[in-house]
Amino acid sequence: MTPDTTHRNSARPRPALWCARAACVGFGLLAFGCGTTPPVREGAVDESPAYTMVFVIHGDGNYHYHDDDGNDHAADRETVAKALAIARDSPRAEVMIFHESERRHVLFFIPRHDGRAYHYRNGRLIAESSYWRDQGVAPFDPEVRLYHAFSAGRPAPPLRLFLYFGHELPELGERGYDVSYPERTVTIDDLADGMEAMAGDSTRFDLVILGTCYGGTPRSIGAIASCARYVVASPDNLHLSYFDLEPLRSLDDVARRGDVASFADHFARNAFMKLSDGVQTGVSVAVYDIDLVHPFVQSVTGTYNEALLATGSRADPPRERCDCAEDARYRLPGIDAGVTMYYRSPRFGRQRTNQEHSGWECWRVRAEADSSSASPGTAADPETTPGS
Amino acid sequence: MTRRGTLLLITAMLLSLGTGLASAQDRIHGYLNETALQVRATPGVLHKREILSTRLGQLTRALAAARNMPLTSAGDAANLARIADTLHERSDELAGVNGFERVPDDQLDAFASYIVQDMEQADRTVSMSLVTLLLIIIIVILIA
Repeated sequence: MTPDTTHRNSARPRPALWCARAACVGFGLLAFGCGTTPPVREGAVDESPAYTMVFVIHGDGNYHYHDDDGNDHAADRETVAKALAIARDSPRAEVMIFHESERRHVLFFIPRHDGRAYHYRNGRLIAESSYWRDQGVAPFDPEVRLYHAFSAGRPAPPLRLFLYFGHELPELGERGYDVSYPERTVTIDDLADGMEAMAGDSTRFDLVILGTCYGGTPRSIGAIASCARYVVASPDNLHLSYFDLEPLRSLDDVARRGDVASFADHFARNAFMKLSDGVQTGVSVAVYDIDLVHPFVQSVTGTYNEALLATGSRADPPRERCDCAEDARYRLPGIDAGVTMYYRSPRFGRQRTNQEHSGWECWRVRAEADSSSASPGTAADPETTPGS
Repeated sequence: MTRRGTLLLITAMLLSLGTGLASAQDRIHGYLNETALQVRATPGVLHKREILSTRLGQLTRALAAARNMPLTSAGDAANLARIADTLHERSDELAGVNGFERVPDDQLDAFASYIVQDMEQADRTVSMSLVTLLLIIIIVILIA
């Protein structure tokens, strides 16, 4: 800063000058000081982690829900807190947590960082950073950059998990996913690109957990197929209390045994039971073995995309979601291959009589709906899924 | 707009700036959550049913009023219509009309929870303009 010659000889600077300096320092801290936090602890972090978990938790939208006592919960912040607790309690893990939050301002004008990243290794916090989420061409570029900065070129552990929590990721280029960036489009392909950039060439995450509504569609599973071996997702709606994360504490054993399929099933079954106990809405949790589901995904992609594109992405026109098994065009041989499904119908509403779900959610145009093959009292009804 | 409406609009704007602008969805969820709490705290079955019916009807009318305001954009109107349709279905189910079985008396508490939880799922955030959002806040304040 240029020296202030006017007051150079004053015994005590004027209050206004102090205020100006304080404002400069404050602004400097706000603008730059939160960029990175130096290592909190040094020491025994050189043991190679046995597994890695990457959490991306979207919070730039409405993520509030209420429990039966009427208490308000912020789904994204609670998920971050759980992920942090797991990171601290996992002495053989490398954990990166990215929290995408709504952009807020200090004094209405000065923007605050809208992303926060945490890097844990062997249960210790190595780095904590705030970042801007609009610094990149693709929506997940900032997270990819931080991932590589945290990894610092070290070889990836043998077991790798990627977990995403947020609202349904659009399958077409729609605006409005991020409240802070209403003009920006975010799609499932963007997430897949981000995952691929993190996973590196010709490698895949062993398990991807997609904590969103409608994650189990041929389009979404197909998009992330190139970077995942197994996927746990909800083909139908998913309550904002999300999946229970406690099973992640047992990953030490999984890393030793290398049995990802059994763990994926354990994770899904546990999530299903916890959700079924807690909510009156439908619960659907599926495990997809990507290599086994690939032929089915390939066989229905054309029909699915046709229905997806038929009416645009955000319009009211006559298209509706359905269990793929309810529509003859999707109900092909192999629809069950590679899918383990846990399903309980909603306690109320039109779908309460549904007894099962194939694990695949599809689009169909209402006028072309295969009403003859629909489940009684459900698919033939021109219901629009709430909020979709 | 009436003087009272203008005053409420200004108050809501100031409150929004001060508290970080709670979304329209938050308001709607909060209203339904209050409804569920009232239902659970009420011992009589008839009274439970009355609370649900009255408050679902009030909220549906509030959303319809916001939807029909000239300041509400077409996109916002479509989003409001979707939410209102869902609420209308819940009213139908409560009463057992339009193809629904009437919600049994011993399941009214669970049904109240279902209404809240059905709105609080990880599908899409319903984005609305500030004007529509403020209209909803005002109307919900007026009917509360």
